[in-house]
Amino acid sequence: MTMNANSYRLPLLRRYGRVLLPVAGLLLLAQGAAWVCGARWGLLFNGLAGSTRFLAQLLSPEWSAFGDLVQPALNSVFIALVGTITGTAFSLVFALLAASNLAPPWIRNSVRALLGMERALPEIVILLFLVAAFGLGPFAGVLALTIGCVGMLGKLIADAIEEIDPVLIESIQAVGATRAQIVVFGVIQPILPSIISFALFRFEYSIRLSVVLGAVGAGGIGFELYRAFVMLDYGRAASALVVTLILVFLSERLSGWLRKKIKTVGGVL
Amino acid sequence: MIEVTNISKSLPDGRKVLDGISFTVRKGEFVGILGASGAGKTLTLRCLNGLLRPDTGSVIVQDADGGRWDLCTIAKKRLRQLRRRIGIVFQGYHLVQRLSALDNVLLGRLGQVSTFRSLFYGFTEREREEALAALNKVNIGNLAGARVNRLSGGEMQRVAIARAIFQSPALMLADEPLSNLDPSNAKVIMKLIRPLADEMPVIGVFHQPEMTARYCTRVIAIKQGRVIYDGDPKLTNQQLVDIYGAELEQLENAPVLLPEKPTIIL
Repeated sequence: MTMNANSYRLPLLRRYGRVLLPVAGLLLLAQGAAWVCGARWGLLFNGLAGSTRFLAQLLSPEWSAFGDLVQPALNSVFIALVGTITGTAFSLVFALLAASNLAPPWIRNSVRALLGMERALPEIVILLFLVAAFGLGPFAGVLALTIGCVGMLGKLIADAIEEIDPVLIESIQAVGATRAQIVVFGVIQPILPSIISFALFRFEYSIRLSVVLGAVGAGGIGFELYRAFVMLDYGRAASALVVTLILVFLSERLSGWLRKKIKTVGGVL
Repeated sequence: MIEVTNISKSLPDGRKVLDGISFTVRKGEFVGILGASGAGKTLTLRCLNGLLRPDTGSVIVQDADGGRWDLCTIAKKRLRQLRRRIGIVFQGYHLVQRLSALDNVLLGRLGQVSTFRSLFYGFTEREREEALAALNKVNIGNLAGARVNRLSGGEMQRVAIARAIFQSPALMLADEPLSNLDPSNAKVIMKLIRPLADEMPVIGVFHQPEMTARYCTRVIAIKQGRVIYDGDPKLTNQQLVDIYGAELEQLENAPVLLPEKPTIIL
């Protein structure tokens, strides 16, 4: 038999079946799940009709409300800022304990487990606990963001510490440095740009979170947004939405710009 | 002076990596430790400043007041005090990349200033001048303000040597200080290390027999955790074969053993 390019052609089913069959299976599964949990196509069309009116209102924000919204917006920023700064400070402490090259295994593993638990709990759940303990308001929001921040940055920084060249730490040890000096010059110094970069990233995330947490009881722009929606004051809700978007956009650009600066210039730090 | 007596070290699986190593090095000597990979050279060196504790044996060093201390049994705090006066240059520089050359040299005295003062870089004017003098001694005083990550490999290794000099050490150790350098830079580094032996014992681990033959005053060869040669730095081909193992015999006519040629043994 002579072999030509056509000889290598697979039958259609064998060629596409590997992809199409699982996709078809998943579609069926999704359809079944939608039926069980009560999501119907009909509802989508009913809702669309109703929401056009609502969307029209959203497109005409209440300009006079912007003045009132500056204060809550700043509140949100401050909640995120304080939560990120305290969170980063605590993360550093936890990270030192969660790094295998600094802490004995039993401390490292238990601190890592603790951080994992913190990450597993969504910030909203943490906030609900804290609101029960400390009451509504920015303080509970700051605490929730701090705890969430420790869960995430604690692990990231600990991983960065574990990747430090062991001989660098040894070379600081070898001149007779104390433990504190080893940590500062052999551990924190080399990863400082990473720490700052993580913190900026977390700040950006905290801004978005602080909006969500605001609605649950931490105050700030999120609360204004939530209140306007509940009171069917869509014009005001639209204004709050615009403010939120600006906030998120600005924080993302700012943190992105700063992180790039740290990476490329490096000389700043 | 440093006296190493009969040090041994076993791995957890029972394999002996150091097996009764003894030697004494005095001021004025520049000792090169040679050996194949895994022979125990670097482990031996690590025992000489307490980074590694042998299972048995003793490593006696003298402090500034003439007191004799055994690094193998010494308390941690005292070890830290002794380390202030033991300069060590590592393979591949290991500097804090984000600090300037001068700051990296200043780190050499971390053990000699209070923790609080060092955390704020509270080094005195005099200490800064001495650090600069150390950089000048290795001919890179002009790079004092440059960030270390902008320097070349040879320059970084010189910063590391300046850091060790700045410690005003009573003993100088070097762990494969030439391993990342090209032959001409390697010679520069050897020329900088050699005169230090006038003031203190200098012990280095090397991979280049032709370099130790040229610059060292004495060579110690280690094989399978034992000292198999201790003496004149100029080795014969047969001695090199003994040190580096049988594979070398096939390379007998290769130029690797002649001085002035880059080594390809290891």
